[in-house]
Amino acid sequence: MSMFRQLVVATVKDMVRDRMTLFWFLAFPVIFIFIFGFIWSGIDGGPQSYDIGLVVKDSSPLGQGVKAAFESVPVFKLFTGSEEEELDALSRGHRVAVVVVPEMDMATLMAGTPTEVLIYYDASEQATARIMVSSISEILSEVERRMTGAAKLIETRPLTIQVEQFRSIDYLLPGILSMALMQLGLFGTFGFVELREKKIIRRLGATPLRRSMMLWAEVLIRLVMALVQCVVIVAVGTVFFHVRVVGNWLHILGTVILGAATFISLGYFLVSFARTNESAQGLIQVVQFPMMFMSGIFFPVELMPGFLRPIMSAIPLTYLGDALRHFMLRLPSEFGIERDLSILAVWLLVALFFAIKRFRWD
Amino acid sequence: MECVAVENLRKYYGQVRAVDGLSFEVDQGQIFGMLGPNGAGKTTTVECLIGLIERDSGTVRVVGEDPKTNPVAVKSKIGVQLQTAAMFPRLTVREIVRLYASFYPNPLKVDDAISLVGLEEKANTQTRNLSGGQLQRLSVALALVANGEVVFLDEPTTGMDPQARRALWDVIEGMKASGKTVFLTTHYMEEAERLCDSVVVIDQGKAIAIGSPAQLIREHFSEQAIEFSHSQLSSDESLSSLPGVTRMQAEEDTVILYSAEIPKTMGALLHYAQEANAEISGLTVRTATLEDVFLKITGRRIRE
Repeated sequence: MSMFRQLVVATVKDMVRDRMTLFWFLAFPVIFIFIFGFIWSGIDGGPQSYDIGLVVKDSSPLGQGVKAAFESVPVFKLFTGSEEEELDALSRGHRVAVVVVPEMDMATLMAGTPTEVLIYYDASEQATARIMVSSISEILSEVERRMTGAAKLIETRPLTIQVEQFRSIDYLLPGILSMALMQLGLFGTFGFVELREKKIIRRLGATPLRRSMMLWAEVLIRLVMALVQCVVIVAVGTVFFHVRVVGNWLHILGTVILGAATFISLGYFLVSFARTNESAQGLIQVVQFPMMFMSGIFFPVELMPGFLRPIMSAIPLTYLGDALRHFMLRLPSEFGIERDLSILAVWLLVALFFAIKRFRWD
Repeated sequence: MECVAVENLRKYYGQVRAVDGLSFEVDQGQIFGMLGPNGAGKTTTVECLIGLIERDSGTVRVVGEDPKTNPVAVKSKIGVQLQTAAMFPRLTVREIVRLYASFYPNPLKVDDAISLVGLEEKANTQTRNLSGGQLQRLSVALALVANGEVVFLDEPTTGMDPQARRALWDVIEGMKASGKTVFLTTHYMEEAERLCDSVVVIDQGKAIAIGSPAQLIREHFSEQAIEFSHSQLSSDESLSSLPGVTRMQAEEDTVILYSAEIPKTMGALLHYAQEANAEISGLTVRTATLEDVFLKITGRRIRE
């Protein structure tokens, strides 16, 4: 088997010395993690705080009481500008909510007419807004309870259970890994097209080496690279962005291999239509670019416009992303893990069948 | 004992009859040349012999095996240099030779193969940085490292400078001295005459002459050749009736007269030119070559 070993060594050397290859297979996904990581998580990973604009127009002890109540909440970072300033800051995204407490007249209050406290928030930030509105209401009713001296009939007792908290970067990391595996499989076939175009395969065909061995060497190298990519991406996510990968490694690696094999087969199938390296590049780009953005690896499905959903649910990348998310983060999978894996397996078999059927050595 | 035997070999590509009923034999220990113009079918023949493509019909034996039914057995007993030999672009000369050495049961030492073609200084250079001539030498090194019983070289000296060409001739003669059989194709007549014990001249997929170069020349020419260029004389058929002239070849402004009586013909030619007031240039007298043989049989020169 020294023939095979030498062939693997030679192919790896030839590949590694091509800086573009290294860029696409390792640097590109890592850059992606950093970009998304900085945008969505904040690199410190420390306790989050919420910027709240608090405008208290009432100067009575009542108004001061409300203010004190807000100040006692540690995760609130309070800004007390004028109403215009705070609303402007909110509209520019610098506040998650602005609370406006109007002047309060004791006599009216005592007469039982409620005062309206206004809470402004950004409706597009649904999750945060919902939390904010309810916690602000909670604070206000606490203030009210103290004022009226009403007995608390229901006491809430907070208990904790272990729940993994997921931030956008956690959600995205499996997506980035899926993207990297797709690019490895699809772009990886350029190497073979280059060997074919430059007639290197033809030359090797004049030696006792079996041609199929060349292909096995390539495929083996790609699969190993897929595992390397997986480890690098998870390591970068863990070290720099504190992503907690909690799944079973065997499941994760198995899925990585399944995904890589699917895209490698798909790559060989696609380049069977191309004669030259250039046409292969064009063909692969046309397939991989839309796939990347229509697959739901970066956005939750709900954000996808309805007419794109059928495309999304046909793309193998969608299911690879979903399965990896499930296995890496122990999140419930969107489509069902059996469905994910079986659709991927079907894609693998179909792509493999046609790749073999259409395979061209020269 | 012959180590390559070809009988009635045919290979068609659609309407194109690349090889059309070719037969010849190569004895062990010989340097055998296949000679012919571009497109004559040399490369197709080689590719059939080394098991790279399958022939349509005919029988072929190479080192006792049939390359069609048992290509791997043939390939492991021969060394091969192909015309369109590309390498992994980012591997060094030594890495590629080492890779190819690993394919064969009994290879030469890697560094020996490299120094035979004079690439020692480039051993650590990636192949994408080699010149055309250096790539050509590397591709010969890949044929040598196999250390096969027969070495197939397809136009090995094309693209080489004269110095490298002469150095490769020495290597080829060295292989013969060490008992190997060399099968080479070329369109350089002087290369075939200088190196080959035996040649087959082919044109349009058919053998038109087989034998040793000296034998072929003797067979076709007992005369010597007078070759010259001129401006006015070419259409003048009376040149062929000059004393001693047995044959005449005229093309554009070059004329070759074959004569068994050189002094007589020369005198008459010079006299004739003076009478006709024609200018003659590049006048040479030489013995006939394989080029003349090809010209005589086909009416064309090997190199256009």
